[in-house]
Amino acid sequence: MNDVFNITLIYATIRSATPILFAALCATVTQQADILNIGTEGIMLTSAFVAVLTSVTTGSWLIAILMAIVSGIAIALIMAVANIRYNAHICAAGIAVNMFALAITKFGLQQFLGTAGTFTSPDIKAIPRIHIAALDGIPVLNDIFNNWCVTEVFGIVMVIVLWFLLFKTVWGLRVRCVGRLPMAAETAGINVRRMKYEVMIISGVLGGLAGAHLSLGYSQMFADNITNGRGFMGVAAMNFGGMNPLLVWVGTLIFGFIDSVGARLQAYGLPSQFILMLPYIFTIAILVLAMWRKGRMNEKAKSAL
Amino acid sequence: MAEKKNNPYITLLLTLLLSMVVGAIFMLVLGFKPFDAYVQLFKGAFVGKVNLGTTLQKFVPILLTGVGFAVASKVGCFNAGIEGELYLGAITAAWAGHYLPKMPAFLHILVCLVLAMIVGALWAAIPAILKVKWDVNEICVCILSTYVAKFFTSWLCNGPLSAKTGMPQTPAVHENIMLTQIMKPSQANTGLFIAFIVVAAVIWLLYRSTVGYKFLTVGLNSAHADYMGINSKKVVIQGMMLSGALGGIAGTIEVLGVYGYFLDNFSLNIANDGMLSSMIVWNDIRLVPLMAFFVASLKAGALSMERFAGVPRSIVDTITAIFIIFATMETLFHFLYKKKKTKEEKAAMTINAAPAGSEKGGKKDE
Repeated sequence: MNDVFNITLIYATIRSATPILFAALCATVTQQADILNIGTEGIMLTSAFVAVLTSVTTGSWLIAILMAIVSGIAIALIMAVANIRYNAHICAAGIAVNMFALAITKFGLQQFLGTAGTFTSPDIKAIPRIHIAALDGIPVLNDIFNNWCVTEVFGIVMVIVLWFLLFKTVWGLRVRCVGRLPMAAETAGINVRRMKYEVMIISGVLGGLAGAHLSLGYSQMFADNITNGRGFMGVAAMNFGGMNPLLVWVGTLIFGFIDSVGARLQAYGLPSQFILMLPYIFTIAILVLAMWRKGRMNEKAKSAL
Repeated sequence: MAEKKNNPYITLLLTLLLSMVVGAIFMLVLGFKPFDAYVQLFKGAFVGKVNLGTTLQKFVPILLTGVGFAVASKVGCFNAGIEGELYLGAITAAWAGHYLPKMPAFLHILVCLVLAMIVGALWAAIPAILKVKWDVNEICVCILSTYVAKFFTSWLCNGPLSAKTGMPQTPAVHENIMLTQIMKPSQANTGLFIAFIVVAAVIWLLYRSTVGYKFLTVGLNSAHADYMGINSKKVVIQGMMLSGALGGIAGTIEVLGVYGYFLDNFSLNIANDGMLSSMIVWNDIRLVPLMAFFVASLKAGALSMERFAGVPRSIVDTITAIFIIFATMETLFHFLYKKKKTKEEKAAMTINAAPAGSEKGGKKDE
């Protein structure tokens, strides 16, 4: 079992966790305002495509990330307008946005990149990795800390930033207030609609980062439905962490761990379909566990009254 | 989920026009001729026997999955996992069609259908049970479990149930249980009539029977249903199971009517189309057939649009997706009706609307 559980597993875990981490943060920030962001998947998929397209045409990964963020915000705003201005059910709007993302990226792939299915090209400018020369000779530290992708580091920074924003600032308090009891927030003079638009825009930014990292950092390609349910895994991780970015991060690390262990088990002759299934089954299990615990806590809170 | 204060037909027509205009603008920007594209789309869907037959063949699974989605929505669930139920139903039918001993064709088809329904219903029961028991969001579970179902069927038809022909498919079902083709050379088959009977039965069940009354009551207000002595949790599970069974039937008809065996990854998101044709008409089951037919004709016509007008096929999906985004917006066309209201009413509305609108955001946690 030494090929499976060794020191490189630590970085492998972080590597597979990061796309889900951004998605989970994208769902977390809206859930704090009581908006269940089913559209995470769609935001991510669209921005993954836009990132690849921009990267190929401009040759700059930085502009690619920026454009991905812009497209993420655009998709999030479609949902926000549908839900807040036109009273659409948020789940319906989310499903609609996911379908829209699937269709438009498929179309864009044909129209602008001239292929169907999968697009790989040496022209895709990937997000660079941070190489620390000083660590080169040191065995363990080199395996763990060297050659991280820029966005992987940034993901961990975002966890802390988001935690600070939500729990240590006035803005965060207001967002959480809107989520708990919008009527009370309104009475206290908070503009609920404006707050909801703000969290949706932030979730668009995070979802855009998720997509850009997925197609330019995690892999250097774009394929139809490249997200493969990662947005929903993000939603599950958000539930697992109870909307607290730090715990949400732990949740995504569990997913990353399962994913990378599964990938290594393939060498042991298990049918590939079962290994591909693994993350989804665990996601459902973790989702159930999280909701079960939440239910228990609610019961306890009730009995304390 | 929608309160229909306005005429649904007018709203539907307006939404359709709006999304076609948006689609046309989209095509113009990219340098295509939208009018040409729409004409070819129409021709490809209806003109000629083959085209019409293809439309009808695509119509059947979209209709069944659409009605399935609508049924689940009647008990307040989003069954986003019909694709998974369709796959499992299809492979069950393929198994029963090949491995069960010979019996009269009619009986054999019935057995295939019933087994597929049971499998689909059981698979759909998982998210439903998780939802009522621990309040787990059913959309997430449905989408994730669909991936599990896809990989599972893929393993089955590559491994234990493989026909060993080098293709990822199961052995062909008995010749005599294949559904009869009705519009050769297209693949339209008598599955169409099975679908009509099933849909009629579902509509009867929902609007004319006690079971349906329970469904509708729970969907409207589950607390009220509980107060009246209806076990709302049980009804939610039943609703989802019925929805899953419909997915299973759709899978069976695809196998017995079109392919004759289970092919890995054959469906390519048929259930997505069903889902959107139900969502566009606000899950009103009596309108779903109409919408499913519309979506099917779009799908069938897309190919000829690509061939003769040079517009990529996937643009059709994009336009339908735009259509559905507009359709989910309940109050999009309210400005048409607002004009009639007096000023006082308007003032009262804006006062009431603000907190009510902001509450509607998502599901309550506490």
